[in-house]
Amino acid sequence: NALTGSPGDCQPCPCPEQTSCAQVPVTGEVVCTNCPPGRRGTRCEICDDGFYGDPLGRNGIARPCTVCDCHGNVDPNAVGVCDHLTGRCLKCLYHTEGDHCQHCQQGYYGNALDQNANKCKPCSCNPAGTAGDLDDCHPHSGQCFCLGHVTGRDCGHCRIGYFNLRPGQGCERCNCNPIGSSS
Amino acid sequence: PRPDITPLPAGTHLLFAQSGKIEHIPLESQGMKKSEAKTLLHLPGMVVIAVAYDCVDKMVYWTDITGPSISRASLSGGEPVAIVRADLESPEGIAIDHLGRNMFWTDSMRDRIEVAALDGSKRRVLFDTELVNPRPIVADPANGHLYWADWNRDAPKIETSYMDGTNRKILVKDNLGLPNGLTYDPRTSLLCWADAGTRKVECMSPSQGDRRKVVEGIQYPFGIASSGRNLYYTDWRRDAVLAVDRSAGKEMEEFLPQKRSRLYGIATAYAQCPSGQNYCAVN
Repeated sequence: NALTGSPGDCQPCPCPEQTSCAQVPVTGEVVCTNCPPGRRGTRCEICDDGFYGDPLGRNGIARPCTVCDCHGNVDPNAVGVCDHLTGRCLKCLYHTEGDHCQHCQQGYYGNALDQNANKCKPCSCNPAGTAGDLDDCHPHSGQCFCLGHVTGRDCGHCRIGYFNLRPGQGCERCNCNPIGSSS
Repeated sequence: PRPDITPLPAGTHLLFAQSGKIEHIPLESQGMKKSEAKTLLHLPGMVVIAVAYDCVDKMVYWTDITGPSISRASLSGGEPVAIVRADLESPEGIAIDHLGRNMFWTDSMRDRIEVAALDGSKRRVLFDTELVNPRPIVADPANGHLYWADWNRDAPKIETSYMDGTNRKILVKDNLGLPNGLTYDPRTSLLCWADAGTRKVECMSPSQGDRRKVVEGIQYPFGIASSGRNLYYTDWRRDAVLAVDRSAGKEMEEFLPQKRSRLYGIATAYAQCPSGQNYCAVN
C-alpha cells in the first residue's frame, strides 16, 4: 500500500530536510508526508495556515514560512488569518485595516498598534460644524475638517471670539466692543 | 494532482483534518487502533477545516478555506469533487443529514448557515442573522434537529432549530467561552461540546437540559466527535487527538499524528448508519 510511506522505486524522497514521502497508487505521484514545521504541499512548497512565505521560492526569492503578522489585530481562535503567500491579513478586527492590520479603517482614527480594543475610534464628526464627509477625519488625531471659525476635534463648537454655529455655515464673529466688554 | 484513497477496512473510524490532508484512525471497543492510523486523502493545496461523513453512500465531506470550497470523496476509491465553490468565504463547519440527503454548513465570514442537497444543488440560506463566529454544526436526522455553536466573544452560544429552519432557539448561553467543537451522539441523545475558552468538555440532553461537565483543564480543543463511550477531540496546543471516557470523565488515550502540525475538524465514520426514518421521504 503506497500510502503508508514507502518511497517509489527506492529513490530518496524529494522532500525538504529528508522528511518522508508516499506514492499515490493510481497516479504514481509522490507526495511529501511529513513536511517541516509550518509547511504543506506535495513538496512542502506551501505555508501552513497561520503562516506565510514561499519556502521553495516558486514565486520569486525563497522566503521561509513565518507566522502571520497582523499586529495582534486578529483573533487567535480564527483560521485563515493571512494569505499563505503574501501574508496579507484577511480578518482584521477592532476597525483596523491594511495588509498587516496596521491602520485604522476609513471613518475611524487612532493608533492601530495600541494594545486596547478601543484603539480605533469612530470619527463621528459633528454634522453642524463639519465641512464635507462626516467619516473623514485625520487618521491619527481624529481631527475633523471644520467649517469657518469652528473648532474642536469633532467640529462641535465655535472658536473663541465667535458664536452661533449654524449647520453648513460655521460661526460668526462676536464683534464685542473692546471698550465695553471683558472678552 | 489527483490524490487517492485507500479503501477503509470494515468498522468505525475517526476522520480528522490536518492542513493538507484527511487522516483516519480505526476504532475498537476500547479506543483508537493507533498503529493502523493512516492518511486517507492527500489534499496538498487545501486547508481542510471541517469534516463530516455520509454513512449511506460512504462518502466523506469537507470544507476548505483556501478555495474556498466544499468537496466530497468516496471512501471506496475515487476522486475528490468540489460540490460548492461559489459564494463561500470561510466555511468552518459541516453536517450531513443522511436520511434527508442534505448537508448544512456554517460560514464565519458571511455569517450564515446554509443547506443544500448532497450534490450541492438546491442550495438555500437557512440563517443569516445573529451569527458572528459560527463554527461547528451537527445534525440529528432521526429527530430533524440541527445544533450549532457561535464563538462570538461578546455572546458565545449554542443554538438549535428544526432542519427546515423553523423553531430557532438558544440552548446554552451561560458559562461558554470559545465553543469550537460540537458533536451529537444519536445512541445516547447527548449533545457534547468542547470549549477552548472555559477549557472544558460538557454534555447535555437537549430535551432535558441537564448540562454536565465531562472534563476540565484541557488545553485548546478545536473539533470533537463521539463513538461509544468515548469523546474524541483535536487539540491545538498538543497537536493531538485525545480520547475522553464520557462516564469516567477522564482522558484515556492520546494519538500524535506523524506530522506534528495543527489539527482541525474530526468526525466519526460509522460502520453502519444510526437508525432512523426520514419522515419527509414521501414528499
